[in-house]
Amino acid sequence: MKLTTRRLTELALLTAAALIIFVIELRIPDLVPIPGVKLGLANIITVYAVFRYKPEETALIVLCRILLGSMFAGRPSAILYSAAGAALCLIGMLAVRRFIPPKWIWLCSVLGAIFHNTGQILAAMVLMKTAVIVSYIPVLLFTGCIAGAFTGLCAQMLVARIDRKPPA
Amino acid sequence: MNKPLAAIAAFAGLVFLGSGAWMLAGHFRAQDAVLVEIVQDGKVLYTVDLASEEDRSIRIEGADSWNLVTVRGGEIFMEEAGCPDQTCVKMGVLRAENLPIVCLPNKLVIRFADSQEVS
Repeated sequence: MKLTTRRLTELALLTAAALIIFVIELRIPDLVPIPGVKLGLANIITVYAVFRYKPEETALIVLCRILLGSMFAGRPSAILYSAAGAALCLIGMLAVRRFIPPKWIWLCSVLGAIFHNTGQILAAMVLMKTAVIVSYIPVLLFTGCIAGAFTGLCAQMLVARIDRKPPA
Repeated sequence: MNKPLAAIAAFAGLVFLGSGAWMLAGHFRAQDAVLVEIVQDGKVLYTVDLASEEDRSIRIEGADSWNLVTVRGGEIFMEEAGCPDQTCVKMGVLRAENLPIVCLPNKLVIRFADSQEVS
């Protein structure tokens, strides 16, 4: 991956924006106090990057956000859950990206949310050595779809407004 | 709408409606369970019969965190936790079979036991 100074700066800027959103969201009281259920506003940046940057660049942004974010939040144990979710989410969104027209970006984000929650559950099952967590799947998926549609819609507006050419 | 897009939309729609229906079904299931298990790291630490258990608090230590589980008036809940997010405390009283109280940092789960035979 060739990373020019300009590109690196752009990616750093997006990472910083994602982290700011993440930290602000930490301050918002939980709408639904269930582990793993949240709006995930920082994913607005992820979805935006999926449609405007190269896959490896997007992965870099997400990786940095997760590492720094879990440190800012003071819960290093959350890294594994977030990372498992984010990895699946990213793979899912990048896989369908080429089929998604600009007006359907929100749908891509919903799919990403579904993958994200699946990854989280799998990680939790492995780490907590219990299958009980399976009962969380419906709640996580249902709320995840709503959150994904919302963040996706935000990203869709962002993509439409910032008329930057896709990666050359 | 191209074919792959339609497939993605159908998939997402199915997941959304399916999980919603599943959630509702679990919500309306009759709840008469009284036997509760406190599980840490895949091992059952305590089995509590809410119908006969006296009010008490149990402190459970983990590798990075701790929890204070309280039984009071036939209900069980997480009273305190040693982590910054306090999600398990905010979850309140254990009510539904499909929604165990979970503390991720401490790998702790409070849930209704699968077999509800009260001995």
